[in-house]
Amino acid sequence: MIFLRRQLPLLITMITGLVMAAQYYVPHPASEQLLTTVTKWLQIIGGFALVLGITSLFHVHAAKIRRKEAGWAYSLVLYVGMLGTIIVGLWNNGKESIDGALTSFGWVYSYTLVPLQGTMFAILAFFIASAAYRSFRARSREAAVLLVAAVIVMMGRVPLGEYILPLSGDLSSWILNVLNASVRRAILIGVSLGAVALSFKIIFGVERSYLGGGKE
Amino acid sequence: MTFAERMLRIDRRIIFLVIGLCTLVPLLFPVGLPIKISSEVRGVYDYIEGLPEGSVFLLSLDFDPASKPELYPQAIAVLRHAFKKNLRVVAMTLWVSGTGLADQILTQTAKEAGKENGKDYVFLGWSPGGSAVILNMGQDLYNAFPADYGGKATKGLPVLAGVQNLRDVTYAISLGAGNPGVEAWYVFGKDKYKFELGGGCTGVIAPGLYPLLRSGQINGLIGGLRGAAEYETLIGQKGKAVAGMDAQSATHLAIIVLVAICNIFYFSLRRQQRRQDGMGS
Repeated sequence: MIFLRRQLPLLITMITGLVMAAQYYVPHPASEQLLTTVTKWLQIIGGFALVLGITSLFHVHAAKIRRKEAGWAYSLVLYVGMLGTIIVGLWNNGKESIDGALTSFGWVYSYTLVPLQGTMFAILAFFIASAAYRSFRARSREAAVLLVAAVIVMMGRVPLGEYILPLSGDLSSWILNVLNASVRRAILIGVSLGAVALSFKIIFGVERSYLGGGKE
Repeated sequence: MTFAERMLRIDRRIIFLVIGLCTLVPLLFPVGLPIKISSEVRGVYDYIEGLPEGSVFLLSLDFDPASKPELYPQAIAVLRHAFKKNLRVVAMTLWVSGTGLADQILTQTAKEAGKENGKDYVFLGWSPGGSAVILNMGQDLYNAFPADYGGKATKGLPVLAGVQNLRDVTYAISLGAGNPGVEAWYVFGKDKYKFELGGGCTGVIAPGLYPLLRSGQINGLIGGLRGAAEYETLIGQKGKAVAGMDAQSATHLAIIVLVAICNIFYFSLRRQQRRQDGMGS
């Protein structure tokens, strides 16, 4: 049993990891066919992951409703919303529109999901303004540099800013293209090297937390 | 409580009101300040402008309704340009919650340009797998999307004539609001299948894509509402983005003024406290 639970997954991970890493450098048709097959598997697994995620969400919220935990009414709203959308979606074969005409599923999408998500995102502008007023203070030299850079970029990214301070457009572009790009690149290289190191650890079985049950 | 202290603890509803007014008033009474075109946006525009008729143009609308205010005008402007240039448009999304929106955008712009579904354009819809879909398309487009969004078999569609995989795509643009988005299209798409790639994104994630832009991994970037407004200006069809730029100008300025006021009161309070501490000791 320990072989099936521990050693076999580690073996599959190692073989798959090494083969797929090597595949990238082998342009042979057989290698390309392997990639085609494996990416199809990935898509199928992705579909199952979606089902698994929804099932898990249902379980978590069902438990909340059953135990009448704090905020259980929100879980009930989630249940009603999700089940309602799934039923309407299945009824319409998952189509939001047919020949340009909205289906009932499309109606749910256009008149509930679109405005709700839009509202959530729009609210951010108000909270960002309030947060900027309360915390964007030049408490130190570093904070002052950040503050000045932010003001220049904010001015340079809108026509009114460029109209008031014509230099702000070029300055903002320089900050984004030179300072920002170089720092981001350094972070990206660091993150990528970390990802390579982690991949090696997973392939060679050093990192096993994905198997569950903690480290052995 | 001193005046400075009172101002620093101002009711946040006043700030909300200021921001609300700064958004609403310019939308009702637009000023229409000129919009300067950046080299990032021009990169995308010039490339599409230089494509010969009938080139395969792939547009991946990788966003959901939350990013509609910024990415919807970008998608409309880019599609209008592509249809005007008579490119063969292949649209899709990697975000399941963006499928309906992507379909609406494509249907609307195609209808406006008098284009025919299946012949001039196709909407492939969404397929599970995230970034893996890009790899799958790179290997075999018909394997990743055997049918289009309307359920029609993709094999044999006139718009996809001569297209087997991503290597046959002349130009691709990902309008992304996160992951999978522009970066995934570079890592899993352009790097392996060697097509030219451009990007579009929300203002928040635009700075994160500048390394890709500077190194030529993407040939242009349409960033946020400003980028969309620049593209609308370039194609000469002013739309929602240009209309929204006045509101964005006013809100940016309001935030700058608010931050300046907050710092003035912060420093005056600090000076007061130092003075009091000096007198105390």
